[in-house]
Amino acid sequence: MSMLSFERKYRVRGGTLFGGDLFDFWVGPFYVGFFGITTIFFAALGTMMILWGAAMGPTWNLWQINIAPPDISYGLRFAPMMEGGLWQLITICAIGSFVSWALREVEICRKLGMGLHVPAAFGVAILAYVSLQVIRPVLMGAWGHAFPYGIYSHLDWVSNTAYQYLHFHYNPWHMIAASLFFATVLALSMHGGLVLSATNPGKGEIVKTPEHEDTFFRDFIGYSVGTLGIHRLGLFMALAGVWFGIVCIVVSGPFWTGAWPEWWSWWLNMPIWRT
Amino acid sequence: MAQYQNLFTSVQPVGPTHHGVDLPRGDDKRTGTPFLVHLLGRIGNAQIGPVYLGSLGVASLVFGMAAFNIIGFNMLASVDWNPIQLIRQLFWLALEPPAPAYGLGIPPLAQGGWWLIVGFMLTVSILLWWARTYRRARQLGLGTHVAWAFAAAIWLYLVCGLFRPIMMGSWSEAVPFGIFPHLDWVSALSLRYGNLFYNPFHALSIVFLYGSVLLFAMHGATILAVSRYGGEREIEQIVDRGTASERAALFWRWTMGFNATMESIHRWAWWFAVLCPLVGGIGILLTGTVVDNWYLWSVKHHVVPAYPLGNPVVLDPAILGAKP
Amino acid sequence: MKITMKLALSLLAPLVAGLLSGCERPPIDTVQTGYRGTGMEQIYNPRTLLKQASLNQAPAPADAAAADGPKASQVYQNVQVLGDLSVSQFNRHMASITQWVAPDVGCAYCHNTENFADDGKYTKVVARRMIQMTQRVNQDWKAHVAETGVTCYTCHRGNHIPTNVWFAPKDRKYANSAMGDLAGQNLASKEVGLTSLPFDPFTPYLKDAAPIRVNGNEAMAGVGAYANRASLKQTEHTYSLMVHMSESLGVNCTYCHNTRNFQSWAESRPQRVTAWHGIRMARDLNNDYMGPLTDKFPVERLGPKGDVAKVNCNTCHQGAYKPLYGAAMAKDYPELQALVKP
Repeated sequence: MSMLSFERKYRVRGGTLFGGDLFDFWVGPFYVGFFGITTIFFAALGTMMILWGAAMGPTWNLWQINIAPPDISYGLRFAPMMEGGLWQLITICAIGSFVSWALREVEICRKLGMGLHVPAAFGVAILAYVSLQVIRPVLMGAWGHAFPYGIYSHLDWVSNTAYQYLHFHYNPWHMIAASLFFATVLALSMHGGLVLSATNPGKGEIVKTPEHEDTFFRDFIGYSVGTLGIHRLGLFMALAGVWFGIVCIVVSGPFWTGAWPEWWSWWLNMPIWRT
Repeated sequence: MAQYQNLFTSVQPVGPTHHGVDLPRGDDKRTGTPFLVHLLGRIGNAQIGPVYLGSLGVASLVFGMAAFNIIGFNMLASVDWNPIQLIRQLFWLALEPPAPAYGLGIPPLAQGGWWLIVGFMLTVSILLWWARTYRRARQLGLGTHVAWAFAAAIWLYLVCGLFRPIMMGSWSEAVPFGIFPHLDWVSALSLRYGNLFYNPFHALSIVFLYGSVLLFAMHGATILAVSRYGGEREIEQIVDRGTASERAALFWRWTMGFNATMESIHRWAWWFAVLCPLVGGIGILLTGTVVDNWYLWSVKHHVVPAYPLGNPVVLDPAILGAKP
Repeated sequence: MKITMKLALSLLAPLVAGLLSGCERPPIDTVQTGYRGTGMEQIYNPRTLLKQASLNQAPAPADAAAADGPKASQVYQNVQVLGDLSVSQFNRHMASITQWVAPDVGCAYCHNTENFADDGKYTKVVARRMIQMTQRVNQDWKAHVAETGVTCYTCHRGNHIPTNVWFAPKDRKYANSAMGDLAGQNLASKEVGLTSLPFDPFTPYLKDAAPIRVNGNEAMAGVGAYANRASLKQTEHTYSLMVHMSESLGVNCTYCHNTRNFQSWAESRPQRVTAWHGIRMARDLNNDYMGPLTDKFPVERLGPKGDVAKVNCNTCHQGAYKPLYGAAMAKDYPELQALVKP
């Protein structure tokens, strides 16, 4: 079978949110569960629609396939299939499969006696997708404001959406989000490096201890956050980065229509120092 | 539900501070008396200090502080030495590299000379800091993985500030020291070279950037989820697999069909994090030196999606012989 | 615990208030300017637009005057322009100019009221040339102003000096010292929309004819004579001009461009061609009309470096995609629509 050496004893019944024993089984290494069924349903349907959209389009080139949202003139209504309706159905399937995936993760956590941190974290990522494709378009009055499904075409959307505000780097929430993203990469490299340096200490050395890890960072920068702390910190910075990313784009449009550099005028014009 | 999620430490045992693993002979003594900060202890370790101030570290700080001060004083000078305006306009101020006309020559101090001096001092500072990273690990009998990860970041820094400007024959291509100005540099680079989204190395670097954020969220959350089984004691779990590692691995295996081990996840982490600046640096180095327009490059390589054009198609008035 | 909460709140509250102070709210209006899903859109706050529309109204035209009777040049002395108008039309025009440029002062702003023909006041000399400038715009720059055209009001809006003119920027106090060179940028400057981009995009592009384009036509970097030598600095200069244009018209980059490929005309909108002509028009007006008038102005009307006030996009547009939101004033003033050959 595709089980790890220690796996059998963990494959117990229970932990399901819905459906009881009916879908409580594995296929190969994958756990199914009720939400595994819904995931397969939404993912398969969504994928088939993407393939159909590609077939109706001008190309099968993976990089050029583009399935675009409706024109803004359709507002929040359903558009004809070839005029963005397909995009709308694919989006519904995407949300369906992402939420199913998260709920399946919950079932797996419950079965394994784990905390629900992973599906909670994934929930923030799902929120980012839903904010971009549902919340912001609704606030702006049209599905047409969402990004298209296409490898390079979605980047064209990013470029144009950013330039709607002349210089998106000046968006303060974007600045915070980008800083958190880069800080997360930094922290990840440090954490990965630290653990590997203790467990792979080089020729002739024995495996080191958490005291060595702490000592390294205290010697290095005067502080070591510790084995538990680094995981809290990493999770927090990653989720905070995504959160501020959500804030930065939901604000752009519904709550700020001008150029982002202009936003800073409140700082420059404070009575104590305005020129 | 009201279940404890282990996000903040609710009960902090307070004991003697740890003075660090003994250092071999040849190293200096550590500096500072370690003390505890309760608020920090709610998230991680409460102990601050001691720190190791060795020759490499002190030298690095000297060069680094010199660079920082030169930048700061130039910023202050640029607002006519008005400290209020310094704070007001801080995000807009900068120390700029020389103008394009100077090429790779040494410009006057006020017209880019300071930038060159700062660039040199900052680079020395960073390299000394890198050496410190390496040495501290070796002195504690640890592997040098942190140092080599840092090297990837230094690669990107040197590409942006040294290698690429030299290959382009102009210091003016380098990044200014300033908050908004360095963001203007990023925009200008993309505008000049045909939209950096179409640079495949840039795209790959972003994959590793977002991937790192994804991975740290996944790994952080996984460890917290099995912290009730001692999952955060990663070294011990690596050499002697316990139920924490087993559940963590099985969670991912059952979710996505494959899994890492307590050790290998840190390799995934290290590589994703390192590949972000590594690949990104390659992408920047190729920009302007090999490729002048990434959009046109992508057209050549058949990856650009087509949209319907306007009707009638807009034509360049300069070519049309319109009145100049 | 309570104390830290209070402290935290008292530190946080003004910060949040400050951050929220730059906020608008839905609903907002959007106009799609490209293919669906490309993100090419104009975004408007309808409440702001309403206010701006009310601030950018064209005044009612003066009642039409009779074209019959003797010509103004026959009746009045020293009539160098508008001489072919009838006296009634001429007077109508004068009344309109007064409304457009100096409603508070009246005729005395330009004229010696004892002798209307006298050229003693510099304002009269300048105004004469500006009438010619207006005629030039309407006759020769239809590629930019089409049939809508301009009048004195388009720039002046009832002010002696238009609210948005530009001068060469003054140097900072210690410009010649060994530290703190601004390199022409890195100040929070209104001219470039509060970015730290170069703060004088006007001298190189709206007075001089520096090249604006920075992209090449080849994917690969060329060598020698084929190399695209445009620098990042040059790119920032172009960007600062573009920020000015966008802010002046109250639009964003996607009004003219598909930003995935800024340089392509085929992927751009027709408005970009209009803007191309607008840049050339500004150069024409600054070099052929404003520049030569420099010594006519008193010192207090000149810039810190002694240069004359010049026009940029904001001088006419003042935040509207078409000045006065496209109100066609010029059609009621045919005398402003063509340069009369002497």
